[in-house]
Amino acid sequence: MDEIVAEYIRRTVLKIPRDEIKTMLQKWGFLSEAQLRTLNFHQTKENISQDVVQLCEENSTDIKQAAVLDIIYNNIYPNKRVWSVYQMSKTGEEMECFDLTTFKKTFKRHLRSALKNVTISFREYEDNAIWIRIAWGTPYTKPNQYKTSYVVYHSQTPYVFISVSVLKSNLPLLCQALIAASNYHHIREMELRSHSLNSLKDIVFKRYSQVSHFTISCLSAFSPSFPFPPVADLRIVKENKKEKERIQRLNREAFGDGPQPKLEFAQYKLETLFKNGPKMDALDKKAFRCVVKFSSPHLLESLKSLAPAGVAESPPSQLLTCIPQKARNYFKIREKKDVFPESFVSP
Amino acid sequence: LSPFTEDNADPQVLARLLHKQWSLYSVTPLYGFRGARLKDYGRLLGAFVAAEKQKGLAVEIGVELDIKVAVSSFPELRGSDRDEAAVLVQLSRSAASQRSSEEKVIWSGWFCCVSGDDLSKNVPEDFTCLPLFLANGAEGYTAIVGSWFQKTFDCCFHRLAISPLNLSWMAAMWTAHRVDQSVSALELVFSVPRLPYPLDISYAIHPEDAKALWDTIQKTPGEITQEEVDVFMDCLYSHFHRHFKIHLSATKLVKVSSAVASAHCDGVIKFLRSQYTTGVLMLLTELAISWVQ
Repeated sequence: MDEIVAEYIRRTVLKIPRDEIKTMLQKWGFLSEAQLRTLNFHQTKENISQDVVQLCEENSTDIKQAAVLDIIYNNIYPNKRVWSVYQMSKTGEEMECFDLTTFKKTFKRHLRSALKNVTISFREYEDNAIWIRIAWGTPYTKPNQYKTSYVVYHSQTPYVFISVSVLKSNLPLLCQALIAASNYHHIREMELRSHSLNSLKDIVFKRYSQVSHFTISCLSAFSPSFPFPPVADLRIVKENKKEKERIQRLNREAFGDGPQPKLEFAQYKLETLFKNGPKMDALDKKAFRCVVKFSSPHLLESLKSLAPAGVAESPPSQLLTCIPQKARNYFKIREKKDVFPESFVSP
Repeated sequence: LSPFTEDNADPQVLARLLHKQWSLYSVTPLYGFRGARLKDYGRLLGAFVAAEKQKGLAVEIGVELDIKVAVSSFPELRGSDRDEAAVLVQLSRSAASQRSSEEKVIWSGWFCCVSGDDLSKNVPEDFTCLPLFLANGAEGYTAIVGSWFQKTFDCCFHRLAISPLNLSWMAAMWTAHRVDQSVSALELVFSVPRLPYPLDISYAIHPEDAKALWDTIQKTPGEITQEEVDVFMDCLYSHFHRHFKIHLSATKLVKVSSAVASAHCDGVIKFLRSQYTTGVLMLLTELAISWVQ
């Protein structure tokens, strides 16, 4: 077995949390049950990984098999990478039936015609997701297994999730290979990026709980003091109760009732007019250029909590609430001319 | 308030302050400090550091190399003749290479006083006023050096926090004096406490546009008033509110940065341009003095 492959397997196993190693190796399926039984999972990870490499030696594991283990790891821990969303489109023609074999063949052929030194691996999952792992080389060097890009393609949709990491120069080639293989004409990057792959899917596949006025009014009907728990002592009156309820209601109408998709940041490039200065004329006609970035471990939930906390007004700004609906977290905002001076255009 | 002084300090000295992250402390006046004894202080502090390391309070485990201490005076770094000359303490270690016995500075600390008249005029003879302390390097060494000074000169060190008010002041100051054609934004960073998930907001303004706004507010060139700073910040907050309906005034301003420097509310500063460094040190000295008194 190649030294490079051995080291790669060792490092991949080291990344896996100790309690998960056995399950992942079973999923991988390249070591027999008998071999797995010989492994002692109670020793240090360093020792476990060395033992795994030993067993792989016995099986003469090659790089293609090692790559599959890497896909399995990234499929279970996708949040360690940053994912961007791309949308494919085609002009005119009807959608052809998707054929997996043709897709894989065309993708590999397209990629290899431009760059011979690549390792390409595929793995299919239940939810019609095709995971593609590409290890990039150069015209003169073998593929570097540590310089990888991942693609997750749901064949029944026009969406592709890509985690490029290094070597962004290979991105155009990757995109071309994708549209060629999936029979589309165009691909564009959406302004949507996050660590949470599932949240990105929730947003573009509209799987998050959207606003339901029915739900809200039903709940209010059942308990007059909703959303506060019923008060036992009628002499206790909550201050500003009506106002708090109004804020809660408007907030839920704007953000929806269910859990928000998990994003880490939103960025707004503003090129709007400055209307709040003491001497309006000087700044009136020119754009006030600024960039605002919101960050949080769970951005949308955080933004949703601003109005109840008294930091933001109700109803909340559409610039914030439109994030899941518009499926983007990068915005360029310019002033909308004429009719409504307070509204903005986002190209 | 105070007019903005031209920078007369030696650029070479100021260069030593640039591009390093400094933790800020306020220091009470030092009793019995003699400018003529700096070499002695260096030896004594060196012995103290060595002793602390042997005690097992060493900062870096397994590093046996000797640490040399140098204490020197910089009369060029002060606001006026009424201020004490700045004192620099440096800890260095010889690089472990056969080729050269190069010394690598591993820790620096500056004691300084820039226009600290308010404090020095009220202090008895035997005391030396150097209320502002800047430290760069491992916290462990800061603690060791700090405790030696505290024992030897009967003084106290306190971590210097920078309030949102002071940060706003710096934002206005750095906007008013645009350094060069650089396009480093004026960035304000806010943190929203007490939320189920913490939220950070970065508000970065194009320096030309920030300056244009400031120019509509400032009345007297060369002078900045508190009122002008308040109007400037309110304008920025209103612009933000117009788009996001969020009251930045209800959040905590934690960091301000520009082409000139960056400052964090935990008392951390980084100078990026030697121009206006003295001005910032003056503001920080004032801040340190208000803590000491």
